Amino acid sequence: MTLSGILPGCILLSCQDPEQIKRDQYFTEGNQLYLTHCANCHQPDGKGLADLYPPVIPSEVSKERFFCVVKNGLSGEIEVNGKKYNRSMPANPKLTDLDIAAIATYVYNAWGEDSTYVRLDRVRESLTECGK
Amino acid sequence: MKIRTDKPGRFPVRFYFPVMLLAVLGCMQENKKLPIYGERETVEKIVDGRTETDTIYHTIQDFAFVNQYGDTVTNRSLDGKVYVTDFFFTTCPTICPLMKKQMKMVYDAIRDKDDVAILSHTIDPRYDTPEVLRKFAGDLGVEGTQWQFVTGSKEKIYEIGQESYMVTAREDSTAAGGYLHSGAFILVDKHRRVRGTYDGTKEAEAKKLIRDIDLLLKEE
Repeated sequence: MTLSGILPGCILLSCQDPEQIKRDQYFTEGNQLYLTHCANCHQPDGKGLADLYPPVIPSEVSKERFFCVVKNGLSGEIEVNGKKYNRSMPANPKLTDLDIAAIATYVYNAWGEDSTYVRLDRVRESLTECGK
Repeated sequence: MKIRTDKPGRFPVRFYFPVMLLAVLGCMQENKKLPIYGERETVEKIVDGRTETDTIYHTIQDFAFVNQYGDTVTNRSLDGKVYVTDFFFTTCPTICPLMKKQMKMVYDAIRDKDDVAILSHTIDPRYDTPEVLRKFAGDLGVEGTQWQFVTGSKEKIYEIGQESYMVTAREDSTAAGGYLHSGAFILVDKHRRVRGTYDGTKEAEAKKLIRDIDLLLKEE
């Protein structure tokens, strides 16, 4: 192989898009946090458990609601994928805004249509709204 | 006639080896017995003028709880059955969902076995009424009475957990969800003796439990 072939390759590797790097960091961190805080009920594959715990389906939930539910929990009847569930989800007061941004990045990239990371500002803003 | 001369070669040595191996493994399987857990004591008694030694094993104490249909379940309801038991509560955010997923696998594996049962105790009887347990069982896909979810006096449930099944089950305000409990599945034989404990949050352990149930059934 000639130098002209190797050089562009090296440049590509060393100059990865910083947005992409950040997305990967959030994704990996989010995956770990998901496994620790969410997977017991929603399962590692996000498919839920029988009729007890619903699957996580990003296309059915706005990000604003997602942040809010992850942080504050949920109670009362909800409908997911056409099925009704009524079991309360505990709040996660210990999760920081950054943790929630990472979890959302993981969920919306792994099981949704997203390919970018969820910005911290967005989490911060909507969480101040949803507490009201 | 030429065909006959081929005959000695039809069963070469390499054919026998796996057969022997299988036979040996088969024997090992046959002889394998599960341990009997807990403290035991020996008593001597005189039978026909000779001294004989009897071993008394740790057994599960008598109990009476109420299941998800509001019916009473006692140790007598489980007479003649091998059973698996655990401790959980329906609003538990930590290990219970993992345990219930694994127990569901055990349940699916024993559904055709009349002499095997599952008994899940709630450690939060204040919230987990028969009605709540019934809804929970239904949502998990459990029907009938092979897998019973029981509630009762909190003291009795904690006591049987600690003293009979030898697992931790108690209230603890510092634990997530408010209760501290072991994630163990306990296997009990037809003589009310503990024959195995398994980590109910791990799939591999639940699979071992399923194999051990079969071993135990062969033994009885």
